Amino acid sequence: MNSRTMWLLGAGLLCLAGAVFATETNPAGVNPNPVQLRRPPVAPLSAMAQLGKEIFYDASLSSSGKLSCASCHSPDHAYGPPNDGPVMLGGADLSRQGARAVPSLTYLDRHPNFSIGPDKGDDDNIVDLAQMAAIGRQAARTTKTAGYTGASANIVPQGGLFWDGRADTLQDQALFPLLDPNEMDGGSAEIVADKLRRAPYAGRFVELFGAGVLRNQRLLIAEAMFAVARYQVEEPSFHPYTSKYDYWLEGKARLSESELRGLQAFNDPDKANCAGCHTSAPTRDGLPPLFTDHQYEALGAPRNAALAGNRDPGYFDLGVCGPQRTDIAEQTQYCGMFLTPTLRNTATRHAFFHNGVFSTLQQVMDFYNFRDTNPDKVFPRAADGTVLKYDDLPAKYHANVDVTDPPFDRHLGDEPAMTEQDEADIIAFLKTLTDGYKVEN
Amino acid sequence: MKSKVLTTAAIFVAASALACTLPVLADDFGRDRDHGHDRDEHHRHPHDIHTETPIKHLVIIFNENRSFDHYFATYPNAANPSGSIPFVPKPHTPKVNNLANANLLVNNPNSNPANGTGATDPFRLDRTQANTRSQNHSYTPEQQAVDNGKEDLFPKYTGRGTAGGAGAFGTNGQVMGYFDGNTVTALWNYAQHFAMSDNNWTDTFGPSTPGVLEVVAAQTNGVQNVVGTSSSIADGQGGLTLIGDTDPGHDACSSITSTMLMGGKNIGDLLTDEHVSWGSFMGGFDLTLKNANGTTGCARSTFSSNVNSTVTDYIPHHAFFQYHASTANPTHARPSSIHAIGHTHDLNGKVDPANHNYDLEDLYAAIKAGNFPAVSYVKMPAYQDGHAGNSDPLDEQAGNVELINFLQRQPEWRETAVIITYDDSDGWYDHQYVAPKNASYDATADQINGAGLCGLGPNKQPAPKGLSGQPVNGRCGPGTRVPLIVVSPYAKTNYVSHAYTTQASVVRFIEDNWLHGKRLGGGAFDAGAGSIMDLFDFDHDHSHDLRADALFLDPTSGTVMTSPPDEHHHH
Repeated sequence: MNSRTMWLLGAGLLCLAGAVFATETNPAGVNPNPVQLRRPPVAPLSAMAQLGKEIFYDASLSSSGKLSCASCHSPDHAYGPPNDGPVMLGGADLSRQGARAVPSLTYLDRHPNFSIGPDKGDDDNIVDLAQMAAIGRQAARTTKTAGYTGASANIVPQGGLFWDGRADTLQDQALFPLLDPNEMDGGSAEIVADKLRRAPYAGRFVELFGAGVLRNQRLLIAEAMFAVARYQVEEPSFHPYTSKYDYWLEGKARLSESELRGLQAFNDPDKANCAGCHTSAPTRDGLPPLFTDHQYEALGAPRNAALAGNRDPGYFDLGVCGPQRTDIAEQTQYCGMFLTPTLRNTATRHAFFHNGVFSTLQQVMDFYNFRDTNPDKVFPRAADGTVLKYDDLPAKYHANVDVTDPPFDRHLGDEPAMTEQDEADIIAFLKTLTDGYKVEN
Repeated sequence: MKSKVLTTAAIFVAASALACTLPVLADDFGRDRDHGHDRDEHHRHPHDIHTETPIKHLVIIFNENRSFDHYFATYPNAANPSGSIPFVPKPHTPKVNNLANANLLVNNPNSNPANGTGATDPFRLDRTQANTRSQNHSYTPEQQAVDNGKEDLFPKYTGRGTAGGAGAFGTNGQVMGYFDGNTVTALWNYAQHFAMSDNNWTDTFGPSTPGVLEVVAAQTNGVQNVVGTSSSIADGQGGLTLIGDTDPGHDACSSITSTMLMGGKNIGDLLTDEHVSWGSFMGGFDLTLKNANGTTGCARSTFSSNVNSTVTDYIPHHAFFQYHASTANPTHARPSSIHAIGHTHDLNGKVDPANHNYDLEDLYAAIKAGNFPAVSYVKMPAYQDGHAGNSDPLDEQAGNVELINFLQRQPEWRETAVIITYDDSDGWYDHQYVAPKNASYDATADQINGAGLCGLGPNKQPAPKGLSGQPVNGRCGPGTRVPLIVVSPYAKTNYVSHAYTTQASVVRFIEDNWLHGKRLGGGAFDAGAGSIMDLFDFDHDHSHDLRADALFLDPTSGTVMTSPPDEHHHH
């Protein structure tokens, strides 16, 4: 048994202790096995990061002159969307819907590149995506349960940025919204490069990369996007690890009884099993948990009628296999799969899942709890009264949906995995993942 | 040799003088020899062994995958952008053969359209961009990039864009990136204070294992497959020559599908014959240790915040002496005692199980115990080895500086030399061309002067003789230009040597210094290798300025420290 499993068992036992024996010798709610967390090094922003910061907040790069990176990735909202709707609006007159809910830019500092698992070894022996996908078709899939490491051996997509992993690095990622006509609508590489050359910070490029950088459009844009990425890597507010849960892990904060029960249910393979994908244990190197295994899942979330694109009944957002991502469209076993996001700061959000179909954590918990046992609580009904399960996926891809990892291994009419109290407790626990907790002395 | 050589007696005079001024060191100097008078010749102290130069201890830090221009393109002038760690060159720094002085920073031939979207002039990589992608460093693409001496197809053949972590320029043009003294600060400082070569090469093209074999055996011919096949080609005489990476046969940590061993000898065999103490000291080699993250055995690993991942410490295909059965320690057996380190036999005359192969931790421990071997080959744990992808210039700097700071604090420092050099260029752009000196004519693998051609043709320029005495293919070279720096009280100061040398020159130095110029034979390149003696000044009287012979650097920033740092603390 590896140390990660041991740790989870420990946490589980602790939760039991906290819930049942509230008057133990240990002060209630304190982690009896505190760990030392290794947070990213903090230093003054480098010249590169300072340049990136200027670009991150530069609205002149958008066609409207009103949108910067920070407009949708708001520093006051964990670098997520500041609005209440499912998506943000962009384009020249700020009237066009973005295709998907805006992900948070926090906690991407340890995000791996896109790959089709298991972990790649030496980079001298590269197996291409199609080859890995072919192997994956033949391999038996391990059920993912909290506390077990079988998941990492699964040959499934993992890593990469955006809901479909189409960008490998923060540098690559930054250019997409800048050029997307529904977002910043920057026009073209030529227009963006021209604005960069005339920007008040243009001198920084010369200083950092030499005079030639302004003449080389490709290099100029690449370096500008690198600078944006570097800002996100260096600026501590993108990965503060200052949640109540972080401090609890370190033995510096107490969880309430409800939060502790929530943590237990979160980690319990027979209940919510959230930690099966949203990893909750620190790594063996003492790195704080990211609450994602960076893998992709088809969960079959309901269609969101509020999205303009969905008025076309023939339009489906299939995630990894398209239409935004185009390089592995032929791997139809991945149709409907989207990246598992971090749950850090999730309680500050108002748009959940790739299509923003849910606006509260309660709705999200109900989806997990009732999708299979009581689908009528989650999905709409057709005119004839039948429940339209997985109505945001074409029927031919319904088989891609995860029906093995708990709690999705239930069947129609089964007892739901969670009680109302479990759901409330888990939501209470999720709120401990919000940064900015002040430790009492 | 032109230099006057200090006698052992002169060293003792120096030592005595030091003992008067620095009493704290006086006893240390002979600490291992205090009870050594009754030992046989199997445990001769390096200080007492005859050497051609005053160097009694040589430490070779064999780093990974950097070309000369990639680290020294603008030396000694760094960009010094605001907020950087500034680098101010010393006055009268000699000119080096780099991109700036060759006027190749602009209008570079690699901006030619044949390189497609990767076409670009060289560009600066910032310290914040230390974590790049590894480039293509295979035998044939490296030759193709050279393009018959035009040196203009690097993006096309060896370029790879960064697809990982932080990195600049996501196209194959990244191969044109170079660091300066704001990033590789320590190496630039060592070059300013000691001596560097701007004409040092790998003996052949290709990646790590050929490089590691050249620096110990000066020979890549004579491959014997153990499991599966190896990254070798037919040598044209019924044998095999290694051109790629393959794990050593029987090593407990090696691949289970592909391993090989080498015929012939290496420098360890010759040193053993003469009872000169020597060892290989590799990060991760001791399988009994447990790292802070709980890993042990072959899976010991270390997290690097620069590379942003956890990297396995020990890489079998870098293991200097595991490829020759005579010098291997395939089970990673531990030495019988700290005093057996470096020696073939332990103090009781029994053959020591470690057979000269140890962990880097053992080097620190042996030196602290007064048992500093004569010749030490060092490989940092992988996260500090400099290889893009699993390491980076900043972690490399930290590992190198920590070791060199430690060595400079030892009483033996005054007769020690450290060589920092590289196994291969990683494929990073370097502008200098040298026509092949070692020809090879494999129809597919060799491409430097045309299809199947490395050299002027088999009639005009036959391939060099291999292990069996016949001309063999697969050793096209020299390959790529890589850094070589000597840090030693006897290194010339702020000196740049233009003498042509290769990895085999390290073997030759050991042979010249300890073995009366004996050579490996069997077609090994040490016989014709250039000499690194030009980097030393043995005439200089070092008895009065010992303080100035050390340069303590900050391991993180690479900048000069005013006072020596704390002791090394590891396991």
